[in-house]
Amino acid sequence: MDRRNLLIGAGLAALVASGGMAFAQQPVVKLGYQLPLTGNTAQYGQDFKNAAEIALAKFNSSGKPFKVEIIFEDSRSDAKEGIAIARKFVDNKEIVGVLGDFTSGVSMASAQVYKSAGMPQLSQTASHPDYAKISEWQFRNITTQAQEGPYNANWMLERGFKKIAVIAEQTDWGQTVVSNFADEVKAKGGEIVFSEFFNRGLADFRPIITKIAREKPDAIYTGFFYEDGAQFLKQMKQLGVDIPVYSTSAAYNQKLIELAGADAEGMHLTATFLPSNPAPHVQEFVAAWKEKTGQAEPGQFPAQAYDAVNIMLAAVEKAWPEPTRQKVRDALAATKDFPGVTGDTTFDANREPAKKLTKAVVKNGQFVAVTD
Amino acid sequence: MDYYLQQLAIGLSLGMVYALMAIGFTLIFGVLNVVNFAHGEVYTIGAFAGLVVITAFAPPLFVVLLIVVAVGALAGVGLERIAFKPFRRFSDEASLKSRAMREATLMSSLAVSIIVREAIEIGFGSQFQTVPLDRLLNKPISLGPVTIVSGDVIIFVVAALMLGGLQYVLKRTNVGLSIRAVSSNPLGAKYVGINTDRTIIWTFAVGSMMGAAAGILVGLYYGAIFPSMGFIPGIKAFVAMVMGGLSSIPGAVICALILGFSESIATIFVPSVWADMVAYGFLIVTLIFFPRGIFGGARDRV
Repeated sequence: MDRRNLLIGAGLAALVASGGMAFAQQPVVKLGYQLPLTGNTAQYGQDFKNAAEIALAKFNSSGKPFKVEIIFEDSRSDAKEGIAIARKFVDNKEIVGVLGDFTSGVSMASAQVYKSAGMPQLSQTASHPDYAKISEWQFRNITTQAQEGPYNANWMLERGFKKIAVIAEQTDWGQTVVSNFADEVKAKGGEIVFSEFFNRGLADFRPIITKIAREKPDAIYTGFFYEDGAQFLKQMKQLGVDIPVYSTSAAYNQKLIELAGADAEGMHLTATFLPSNPAPHVQEFVAAWKEKTGQAEPGQFPAQAYDAVNIMLAAVEKAWPEPTRQKVRDALAATKDFPGVTGDTTFDANREPAKKLTKAVVKNGQFVAVTD
Repeated sequence: MDYYLQQLAIGLSLGMVYALMAIGFTLIFGVLNVVNFAHGEVYTIGAFAGLVVITAFAPPLFVVLLIVVAVGALAGVGLERIAFKPFRRFSDEASLKSRAMREATLMSSLAVSIIVREAIEIGFGSQFQTVPLDRLLNKPISLGPVTIVSGDVIIFVVAALMLGGLQYVLKRTNVGLSIRAVSSNPLGAKYVGINTDRTIIWTFAVGSMMGAAAGILVGLYYGAIFPSMGFIPGIKAFVAMVMGGLSSIPGAVICALILGFSESIATIFVPSVWADMVAYGFLIVTLIFFPRGIFGGARDRV
C-alpha cells in the first residue's frame, strides 16, 4: 500500500517536475535524512518520514525560488548502516545538509563521518550529552536530560515528594535520566531511596515494582519510552501499587494511553509539544498529520522531526542563493527564536536547543497541561 | 515475608509462561533432534492471528484459542513443508544418517523465521499492537498477601492440560507410539514400517498448535503483541529445554519453572538487569555438572 502510494507519488512528482521544467528551470537543493525505516525501531522512523514529508510539501508549495528534495535512507538503527549512509550522503555533492539519525548511538557514529567531511547534521532525537560536542557540525532539536532532569526534580520536590524511587532503561540515555535527576534531588535535600535500571523491552516489571513498593517511596521517577511505560503502568495497577509516577518527555506519546488505558491515568510528565495547544501552526501540523497518516494525534517525536526539517529548510533558504554545506551550517547556528510546534528554538553556542518545557498529566485519556 | 511470597508468586507465573513455550519446542526437538528456530515465529503468528480474530469478531476466549490453534497447526505444517521436508527428500541410508542434512534445517528454519518476522513487520508495523483493554488477562486476584492475575490461572490450566494431554498422547496412543519411535531411532522406525514423514508432520502440527496457543495467551497476558515478541521466550524455552535434558518434556517444564523462580528471586538481591544472567548461569552450571541435562539420564526420549 505504502509502496504503491510512493510509486504514484513519484510518478506525479516526475510529471509535475517535467511540467515545471517547461515553464522555468526551478533549481533543486538536496538534503539527506537517515532514519530507521525497518527493524525494531521502524515505527519511529516512519513517523519522522511522514512528518518530514508534511514539512517539505508545505515548503515546496510556498512559492520559493527553488525546490528542496529529501533523500531518505534506512539505517535500521544500526551504527554500521548509519556510517555507510553518512559516507553516501557526503559523497553526493548535491546534498548540503543531513537530518537524523534516531538513536544517539547511530547519530554519534555517523557524526564522525560528517565531522571529517564538513556536513551539517541535525538530529531530531539524539539526546546524548556528548552528541553535540562532537564537532561544530552537529545540531539537535531535542531537550537533553541536563535540562529535563533538574526541571522534573524541582517539580516533584515542590509537590512535597521527599523520598523518590528512580528507574530507567539500561542505555546511555537512561543513565543521563537518572544522574541528572538524582543530582538535583540530592542537592535540594530530597532523598533517592531506590535506583535501578532495566533492559529495554522487559516483559515483566512486576519483580521491580514489588521491590520499589517495599521501599515505600513518595513517588517514582521513570526514564522509559511509551512501550515500556505502558507495561510498567499496567503492571503497577495489577499489583495494586498506588504511588504517583513521573516521567520524561520520552514517554509522551498518545500510544502510551492507547496501550495502558485507564492505568495511565494520573501519570505526570514534561513535554515540549502538546497537540491540544491551540496555536494555529500547531493545529495546522496536527491536522496535516491526521490527514496524511490516518492516525491519532502526533506524539512528541514526530513533532520534533517536523520542527527539525523546518529549521533545516529555513537554514537552506537563508543560505540561498548557492547554498553550500558551510553556509547551511552557519545559518543553522544562527537559528534564533524559530517558531516551531515544539516551542521556539534557539541554538546556543554549543548548538544545543533551549526549549520551554510544559508540565502535563494524563487525565481522562488525554495529556493535559497543568501548572503545578 | 509478604514481599518474598509476592516475588515467589511472580516467579511461578514467569516460569509458567516459559513452560508454555518450552513444551512445543521440546516436542519438535525430541523428534527431529534439531532446533526449530521458527518456533518463536509460530508463537508470534498465534498472537497476531488471535488479535485479528478478536478485533474482527470479538468471540469468547475459548473460541479465539480454537482458531489460533488451527492457525498454529497450519503454520506448523507449512513450516515443515518449506524448511524441513526438502532436506528429507533423499531416503538412502547415508543421507538419513547424515548430520549435515539434518542440521541444514537449522539454517532453513532460521531463514523462515526471519522472513516471517519481517513480513509481519511490513504488514502490521514493528510497534506494540493495540489490544482491546477488556480482553487482557490481567484482572488482579488477591490471595491473602499475594496478588496474582486472571491470566496466571488460565496459563496454569492450559499448561497443565497441554502437558497432561501430551503425555497421554505420547504414552497411550498409536500416533504417540510412532512419535516416540521416530524420536528414538528414525531409521529403525522407517524399517519397521512407520510412516516417518507423516509422523514428523503430525509432530509439527501438534508442537506448533501449542506454540501458537502460548503466543496468544502470553500476548493477552502482557498486552504486548509485536513482530519480534517470540525471540526472548524462544531463548528461554531453549535454555529450559537444554537444562531439562534436550528431549524430556516434563524436564523442560520443571526447568522453565526453575528459570522463572530464579529470575524473580534474583531481582530481590541484584538489579533486574542481572536477572537474566542468573538464568543463563544456571544453564552453564547444568552443562558443566549434568552434561545430559538435569532430567536427561533416562534413555526414553520425548
